[in-house]
Amino acid sequence: MSVPTTATHEGLPVGKLSAYLDWAQMLTGAALILFMWSHLILVSSILLGPGVMNGLAWFFEATYMAQVGGPLIFLCFLVHFVLAARKIPFNTAQQRVMLANAKRLRHPDTWLWIVQAVTAMGILIMGAIHLWVVLTNLPITAEKSAARIQTGFWFVFYLFLLPMVELHVGIGFYRILVKWGFVDRPGRWTLKKKENLLTAVFIGIGLLSLLRYYFLPLK
Amino acid sequence: MKIIQTDLLCIGAGLAGERVAIEAADNGFSVICLSIVPARRSHSSAAQGGMQAALGNSAMGEGDSPDVHFADTVKGSDWGCDQEVARLFVDAAPIAMRQMAFWGVPWNRVVPGEQTYYKGGKPFTAFEKPENEGLIHSRNFGGTAKWRTCYTSDGTGHCVLYTLDNRAAQMGVNVVDKVEAIALIHDGDVCMGAIARCLKTGELTAYLARATLVATGGFGRIYRESTNAVICDGGGLITALDTGVVSLGNMEAVQFHPTGIVPTDILVTEGCRGDGGTLLDKNEYRFMPDYEPDKAELASRDVVSRRMTEHMRKGLGVSSPYGDHLWLDIRHLGEHHIRTKLREVDEICQSFLGVDPVHQLIPVRPTQHYSMGGVRTNKDGAAYGLKGLFSAGESACWDMHGFNRLGGNSLAETVVAGMIIGGKIVEFLKGTETTFSTGAVRDAMNKQTSRIADLVACKHGSENPYVVRNAMFDSIMKGAGIFRNGKDLEKCVAELQEILGRARKVGLRSNGKGANPELTMALKIEGMVKLALCVAYGALKRTESRGAHTREDFPERNDRDWLTRTLATWTEGADLPTLNYEPATHTFEMPPGDRGYGGGKIISMDAPK
Amino acid sequence: MGRTLTFNIFRYNPSDPASAPHMDKFTLDETERMTLFIALNRIREELDPTLMFDFCCRAGICGACAMVINGRPGLACHTKTKEMPDEITLMPLPVFKLVGDLSVDTGVWFRTMYQKIESWVHTDKKFDPTAQEERMDNGLAEQIYELDRCIECGCCVGACGTALMREDFLGAVALNRLARFILDPRDQRTEKDYFDVVGTDEGIFGCMGLLACEDVCPKQIPLQEQLGKLRRKMALAAVKNILPKFLKKDF
Ligand SMILES: Cc1cc2nc3c(=O)[nH]c(=O)nc-3n(C[C@H](O)[C@H](O)[C@H](O)COP(=O)(O)OP(=O)(O)OC[C@H]3O[C@@H](n4cnc5c(N)ncnc54)[C@H](O)[C@@H]3O)c2cc1C
Ligand code: HEM
Ligand code: HEM
Ligand code: SF4
Ligand code: F3S
Ligand code: FES
Repeated sequence: MSVPTTATHEGLPVGKLSAYLDWAQMLTGAALILFMWSHLILVSSILLGPGVMNGLAWFFEATYMAQVGGPLIFLCFLVHFVLAARKIPFNTAQQRVMLANAKRLRHPDTWLWIVQAVTAMGILIMGAIHLWVVLTNLPITAEKSAARIQTGFWFVFYLFLLPMVELHVGIGFYRILVKWGFVDRPGRWTLKKKENLLTAVFIGIGLLSLLRYYFLPLK
Repeated sequence: MKIIQTDLLCIGAGLAGERVAIEAADNGFSVICLSIVPARRSHSSAAQGGMQAALGNSAMGEGDSPDVHFADTVKGSDWGCDQEVARLFVDAAPIAMRQMAFWGVPWNRVVPGEQTYYKGGKPFTAFEKPENEGLIHSRNFGGTAKWRTCYTSDGTGHCVLYTLDNRAAQMGVNVVDKVEAIALIHDGDVCMGAIARCLKTGELTAYLARATLVATGGFGRIYRESTNAVICDGGGLITALDTGVVSLGNMEAVQFHPTGIVPTDILVTEGCRGDGGTLLDKNEYRFMPDYEPDKAELASRDVVSRRMTEHMRKGLGVSSPYGDHLWLDIRHLGEHHIRTKLREVDEICQSFLGVDPVHQLIPVRPTQHYSMGGVRTNKDGAAYGLKGLFSAGESACWDMHGFNRLGGNSLAETVVAGMIIGGKIVEFLKGTETTFSTGAVRDAMNKQTSRIADLVACKHGSENPYVVRNAMFDSIMKGAGIFRNGKDLEKCVAELQEILGRARKVGLRSNGKGANPELTMALKIEGMVKLALCVAYGALKRTESRGAHTREDFPERNDRDWLTRTLATWTEGADLPTLNYEPATHTFEMPPGDRGYGGGKIISMDAPK
Repeated sequence: MGRTLTFNIFRYNPSDPASAPHMDKFTLDETERMTLFIALNRIREELDPTLMFDFCCRAGICGACAMVINGRPGLACHTKTKEMPDEITLMPLPVFKLVGDLSVDTGVWFRTMYQKIESWVHTDKKFDPTAQEERMDNGLAEQIYELDRCIECGCCVGACGTALMREDFLGAVALNRLARFILDPRDQRTEKDYFDVVGTDEGIFGCMGLLACEDVCPKQIPLQEQLGKLRRKMALAAVKNILPKFLKKDF
């Protein structure tokens, strides 16, 4: 609060830090959402044929978007992680309180937050590994990706990462809109329906793409 | 023994208590408010309709003035009020409303141009003057010549109480909630504070104060069917009565509200009728115009309640498992009006009855609603009998309501009296010092400690306090309800005396530890029965009909013998109150006359015996 | 009708050393139009005189009777048994200090809140008893009333995961209260003053958008909308001086 509990000095001015951090959390989240949607286009272009994907990948490489964008995304990812993680309770008592509350309430939006917090942990580890692997092995080609996925290990890896990311992103999208008041009371329910649908569709496309990689004949 | 000292102790943190507290705090005095519930849960928050003040901003209030308000108030009281006090009140009411606006109440305001209002179920238009745009608006309430009731949708009491409590927080008023005052500390001449029991821990504390204010609201809960909150059981009045020297005024003057819902007795506001709601009987026939051709549903409360009872006695009530009732019809006001202007009513019907008032009728019956009686004070709010003791609000008999208070006048009374009496208390605090007698404090404390110990140990018996209370309910509703007569009242008084004996023999089934609710009940049941006796005995002795007090065996208002106020005191150990009488008013700005509604004969002041 | 209801009620009397927290079972026959107000009073009068709970207005307007009813914070007096299953579990509201059984101490919590957010109209004007009231637009008065309708039941706080985890979080009720003053032209506080009160992680930036508050509020106060507006306003206030001019409007 604005009033310090010990009055040995002038009242501490309340900085704008909390506000800046909230902005940053939202903006990195939004940036990551946009990125993940484009990312899905890139990755699922495999469904239209390896040529299309290679073309897209080449386009990003040629324009240096991958070389510059990649690390930027990585940075976003880290910043977002640091900011958002402030909200996740790290002591067990608090975690239990949160979980017990969600269970007791049977309240969908509270559950959504828990889903987001749990998936975040998975994404942090798996996303980082993925980023490292992809970005240290540029350029991206359909063949390289397919080869990776056909090792089996990566297939399973993505099978976990994909739904986690899509859930996290979908919920994050919904949450930004409600937290910043861009929907009204009735709008919230339609938004939630749309958001669930979108998540399901994205997971579907992602799965199809994964299968396509898995069965893509390698040269 | 825990002792806390302050300049002013307000027992009660409703509108009246807080308004007085603010006045004292504003003047630099230390103030503690005690309350059974957090201040904002006080029953003032339940008042939906509004508060009267002659601002005259609205089209239908044009030409209003404190004089017109005065006439309405005195007529409403059936000339039972103290006219000097009524005058103080009506003159200060507009200032109080403006002050509330200044402190933050979101009063509804005048919207200029043609507006549609309802009266008697029919829409009509009135032209709101453009120059009045944005001033405090007013709505219609029963028994008034002009539309004078200031309101915020239907959450007037709520908004005003929240605003006042905000102000109290700002002024540093110390509100201690979940405590209940159970006795006053006094030596027979001077009041020195109160003994209070903490409803969190059960601990007793002696609050010492130079001035003590009883602002504990109504005592409706001595009736089973009451619109009052469950905490309105007269705790403050009991502490006053128990002193043996403080008088309670006009306890027999109990008002019934025409529209309590059946079965939960929750009030739906008079605003329903003010906005054009009508009353129907079992044939869905609108009967009020037959009885009151002019005012119909908008005659004063006592009249409407009585007419409803009369109509039901003719067998025209709707029978239900909870007894007979009538219908309130607001369907014709339309969905928009009901869902916005009468939203709380809408909510009450939907959530407590499962009735949608836009399409369905609301089951209602007359229900105990307001207690005109209370701690008798002079016009400065000082109680008779003890120096340093004051009272304000519904718990007081300041006496601007006489035998019937007008809708909207009591909420206004709380803040107006709070302002005026607060000022007087400030004067008192500035001019008086008090000597606290340690002996009186210790005696008061010991008495309460041993009372509690006795109850826990069942020393005097093991009557169940709830059973005793139910017996009281049965008795008083039958004997001292809306219609009264000598025979029933005599029976009622006799029964209540027997019940008082039982109340003195209650004992606990539990251990009484902490905030034990059984102990809370046991501690006040005797006092509640005493209050019931003050009502019934006062009603028995008052052989006339005036305002809400209706004797079937004495239907006329008798100004010759009864233009008086009943004063009840209770001598320790007695089985009945001692009744004395004083003139209703010393000044006559308006000589006794006909109210213009309610009918009934009048025996005039100078009629021969 | 004709059902027998089973009530599982949390019991604990902190003032009694012999008491330990546990659940008690009571059964009652259901009657027509029964509410939890009727049921709990019957339990107290007929079965266990020590049962502690709070009711005041019993009409859903004072906020005294909030408790956790089958998992959800709500007003007991507002709850009709006919809309409930045969088995009803009642717990006291979390976050607030327990008084005993179903009764909690909301008074102290709320008074602390008033002081934290300075829940009153700030003005340096003096009231002039002889002057006419200041004018206000009726539409605005109604908007303020809409937010002023909160009954401080504490349901929104008891349901909010953030408030449960973090004691210093102000909660939706306080944020809504501040929004009420922001709307009110009589309050002369500046945007910066408001920012100092809620522009922190204890205030609006601590809210994680769980929206349990919005979904349990018995008065249907538009909390989501108000929290959203407040976040935008406060977030913009923080960056106003670095924004280009055309963006400096209040959106
Ligand atoms: C349902 C309803 C609707 C109403 N509508 C209107 C209306 O529209 N217009 C109008 O003018 N009037 C209305 N009234 C009447 C009006 O609301 C009351 O007369 C008025 O609010 C009383 O205010 P008060 O401050 O005297 O008491 P209350 O607001 O009742 O406050 C009493 C205070 O005393 C405390 N208290 C009680 N006993 C003790 C004790 N032993 N120890 C410590 N504290 C104690 C309580 O906790 C509380 O804080 C209505 C009344 C009811 C019941
Ligand atoms: C691809 C990667 C990620 C994307 C696209 C993403 C996206 C988002 C979005 C859009 C939000 C909503 C932001 C807001 O409410 O302000 C959000 C919230 C959140 N994210 Fe992520 N995120 C990603 C990775 C992570 C990681 C690695 C973590 C880490 C630990 C994480 C933890 C959280 C948490 C805890 C929240 C909730 C914050 C709150 O409720 O205030 N996210 N995320
Ligand atoms: C600039 C950064 C990134 C690049 C260049 C990139 C590139 C790729 C590529 C080429 C694939 C195909 C599979 C493979 O080659 O292994 C892929 C798949 C995938 N990536 Fe990324 N990625 C990036 C960032 C991220 C981030 C931040 C996440 C989420 C945390 C993510 C999640 C996924 C997932 C879930 C798949 C599997 C998609 C499917 O279902 O087909 N990626 N990514
Ligand atoms: S905002 Fe709603 S839930 Fe919260 S305290 Fe107010 S009324 Fe209760
Ligand atoms: S539940 Fe809590 S986190 Fe925010 S949206 Fe409501 S205050
Ligand atoms: S008792 Fe007042 S809200 Fe339930």
